[in-house]
Amino acid sequence: MDAIARIETGLKGRFGADIKGLSSPSPARLFVDVDRRALRASSKMLIELGGRYMVGIGYDEIARNGTLGLIHTFAFDADHVAVVLRTSAPASDPTFDSITPDIPNAGWSEREYQDLLGMKFTGHPKPKRLILADDWPDGIYPLRKEVPYNLEPPAAEDVAYRLDEAPPGTTIVPVGPFHVSLHEPEHFAVYVDGETIKGCDYRGFMTHRGIEKLCQTQVSYNEVPFVAERICGICGSVHAVCYAQAVETAAGIPISRRAEYIRTIMLEIERLHSHLLWLGIAGHLIGFDTVFMQAWRVREKVMWLAERITGNRKTYGMVVIGGVRRDITPEIRAEIEGLLATLEKEVMVLKNAVIGDSAIHRRTKGVGFLSKEDTIRWSLVGPVARARGLRLDARKDHPYAAYGDMTFDVPVVDSCDVWGTLVVRVLEIFESIAILRQALAGMPADGPILTAIPEALPPLRHAVSMVEAPRGESVHYVITGEENRPERWRVRAPTYPNLQAVPAMLLDNQFADFPIILGQIDPCFSCTDRVAVVDAGTGAKRVLGRAELEGMSRKPEGGGSRS
Amino acid sequence: MSIVAIFVNVLLFLLLAPLFEGVMRRITARVQSRQGPPIVQPYYDLFKLLGKERINSAGNWAFKLAPLAALASILAVVSLVPFGSRVNALGGRVDAITVVYLLTLGGVSVLLGALASRNTFAAIGASREMVTMVMVEPVLAMTLILGAVRTHSLGLGPAVFSTAGAGFSLSTGVMLVAYLLALQAFVAKQPFDIPEAEIEILEGPFIEYSGPDYGMFRIYMMMKQMFYAWLFVAVFIPIGRTGLYPLNILLQLLGTLVVFVVIALVGSTNPRLRIDQAVKIYAVLILIALGAVGLAVAGV
Amino acid sequence: MWLASKIKQVLMVMKPGVVTLKYPFEPRPAPENFRGAPHWDHTKCIGCAGCAEHCPARTIMVRDLCQEIRVLLYDGSRCTYCGRCAEVCPEKAIVMTPRFEQATDDRNDITENLELFMLTCQRCGRCYDMETTSAIDKLGLTGYRYDSLEARTVIRKATDSFRPKELEATERYERPGKTGD
Repeated sequence: MDAIARIETGLKGRFGADIKGLSSPSPARLFVDVDRRALRASSKMLIELGGRYMVGIGYDEIARNGTLGLIHTFAFDADHVAVVLRTSAPASDPTFDSITPDIPNAGWSEREYQDLLGMKFTGHPKPKRLILADDWPDGIYPLRKEVPYNLEPPAAEDVAYRLDEAPPGTTIVPVGPFHVSLHEPEHFAVYVDGETIKGCDYRGFMTHRGIEKLCQTQVSYNEVPFVAERICGICGSVHAVCYAQAVETAAGIPISRRAEYIRTIMLEIERLHSHLLWLGIAGHLIGFDTVFMQAWRVREKVMWLAERITGNRKTYGMVVIGGVRRDITPEIRAEIEGLLATLEKEVMVLKNAVIGDSAIHRRTKGVGFLSKEDTIRWSLVGPVARARGLRLDARKDHPYAAYGDMTFDVPVVDSCDVWGTLVVRVLEIFESIAILRQALAGMPADGPILTAIPEALPPLRHAVSMVEAPRGESVHYVITGEENRPERWRVRAPTYPNLQAVPAMLLDNQFADFPIILGQIDPCFSCTDRVAVVDAGTGAKRVLGRAELEGMSRKPEGGGSRS
Repeated sequence: MSIVAIFVNVLLFLLLAPLFEGVMRRITARVQSRQGPPIVQPYYDLFKLLGKERINSAGNWAFKLAPLAALASILAVVSLVPFGSRVNALGGRVDAITVVYLLTLGGVSVLLGALASRNTFAAIGASREMVTMVMVEPVLAMTLILGAVRTHSLGLGPAVFSTAGAGFSLSTGVMLVAYLLALQAFVAKQPFDIPEAEIEILEGPFIEYSGPDYGMFRIYMMMKQMFYAWLFVAVFIPIGRTGLYPLNILLQLLGTLVVFVVIALVGSTNPRLRIDQAVKIYAVLILIALGAVGLAVAGV
Repeated sequence: MWLASKIKQVLMVMKPGVVTLKYPFEPRPAPENFRGAPHWDHTKCIGCAGCAEHCPARTIMVRDLCQEIRVLLYDGSRCTYCGRCAEVCPEKAIVMTPRFEQATDDRNDITENLELFMLTCQRCGRCYDMETTSAIDKLGLTGYRYDSLEARTVIRKATDSFRPKELEATERYERPGKTGD
């Protein structure tokens, strides 16, 4: 509460009449309505007060009051509070000040709404197309309500994305759209000088599926978790739970404690399999296929367990609004406990075999360096941030489901490189096993797992929910709607902010390290796709200058920042 | 008889190289807890490749010539070597330096093919291959020169069979270590399979090759592997020195098999290194090899 | 340290040995509770179309051929095996079988077609009431909501809010030039 009062007084004191409304529906949330004139300054103030930028959301209110709404969300991790900054602009003049010069991570959010809603952001350093294909017609903004979800304008020929110029003396190595080290089509144009990387440009969102638009127009509240699960090929449960939590918060639906514990169990099982998968992929990316096969052999048992509990290896289908669909019977509980014992032994064997291997050290230590200050500036999340000394974990900072009852550590190292992310993830596997044991022991003995919803959910309520995916923090923002479906649903996967910092991590590394540096953020392009852009960044540059790609993909001649 | 030996050499190398490759793949698979392909899988792969359409994606003669040159060079090498401890008709007329030249010719053909491909990834692979060749071939050359120094003859037979001719010594021991450490680089397996790093540069020099051209490169690589493994046995392990020619061949093949098993085990338990890291290791190996030659010159 | 690591790595593999199976000659059956392809029991189905209403993939279609005959078609091509149909069915007529080897080149292999003879209610002329509240209303309570009752008999059209005028606008816009322009 202190934090909320502090933020309120700070904002009111500075902006006075520009703050149109303040509301705090729960001790962990603060909704601030601000006039668009004060958007940039108030965002900057929130960062100065200790906030971390999460994501921006744009939505179409033209039918209701002729405006386009814009929302920026900030997390105050130490105070366990999330602040939502809302503003709007009339549809005839949808111009906002860009907050990207102060908050680099907002770059993609703003470009996204430029493409999808037709908003304009003055002062944005790189207002290039992000999501829509380069031959998409101007003037048709898919997220606006008048555009149908399945509009397919005819394709144009010979229109390609314009990459930034390569710095002088470098050749372009096209990594993508199809490349062995990428799981989904993305294009990284890496500028190399011999074997050293001097810059990178990225164009992605080639497999953008329009999920948000689909779920805002075609499916109902309870069908969305099934779509949400399929956003990602690894962390499906996270998206389903995050969405369900957001809707439950917005509509004020209480869920039973037993359901919360079951959700926790499913989330931790997912974390186990995801980290083992990453360990394997990291081994594969440095050419060590044995680690790959062995890690996945251990992971297979987790998949079998998930299949036994939920009926499917990956798309658990467990989450609906109001609870979960299946219960954890005593037999299943015994199986989980048996598996945890085996898993602990096997992962310990794997860890001993990998941690001491100096050949792996050579490929991962000192590689993909990004300093702690840069990590904070770029608002990175997940093991990437935890490998650089930042203690960020949504399970502790913004407790949800049954995590409030759990005791566990958040492993943090400060080696600032790929090796750190490896260590953090291996340690997190052991923490997950501990959490699972606590969850099984502490689960309420019986109780309903699904809450009955007697009437329609109230429309136009806002809620934001954060869940710690294996890759970092996942944020969902929901505005409940009429017609039994969300009016607006925004998914921000953890790879969205992390990818924006990849060029900075790549700079001055060897090209051979490109896959493992990209792999250290555990990129889940399908979660993100929506985007990927790589801006080469040097440590010294502060801002994405107007010729940001230029500035980023070249070594600084004398340093200094460009605004 | 020594003319028949030439054909025996060529046939055995040509026919058995894929078998050894299959053994390596099988061992790698078992280390990775999976079944692995049948041991004869490389034969199937080669037949399949040879039956495909020939596509010249780069459109120039160098692209077509490169695999032929590589295969020709390795066939020449195997026809010369004293397999089974018998110096054949050709081997008696050449010396150790010829073998080094021919092996380098093979490497240069790969470079030619890669640079003729006009592909960025092939160019990166070519540069890595060049660096590897420059740093690693000296160890091979010095192994043969060591034999030459110790037996006071540059002839191929004596140079290869230096331990038979002049017995084991400290210099041979040091060279054994250097050769063993470089063996992974010679056969292009982890941790030194850098030129063809699949994950990073999509097969490197061979990215534009397909069909029969690629098949020729594959058999070239397999025969090269078998040659290096056999050379280790021939130079350093005193088996296969009985009087019987067929028995010699059998013993040397068994020795080669053991070396392949070791290569497979080392290859499957190591990640790939970066070229700049590998270069440092190669430099150390060259120094060790030089040291061994120095010791031999000093008479030790 | 390095050598110890390597030896540990080789030993790590000795205990489990080879774990892969020669599938399909050594199949591994699905566990119980597995969500494979759904199967309808026509003797139990009452034609309430709850399954059609809750299928997220819209792959179950219900249509009345005439007053007495209702056709329920499961066209498995878009089925995601989520199991909502089985969960929602008030008569437990749908079972998620353990079949997962569904690849086929004939669509009929994955289709289930039920033709149900419906009795008519004397009062309203439609399907009759069961125990004071209808199945539809019972479904309405446990965590699910309906969109509209009309959707019971016909699937929702995908492009309800599509306006053809939108497409016209796309023909007239300015396309970006070719690369290199």
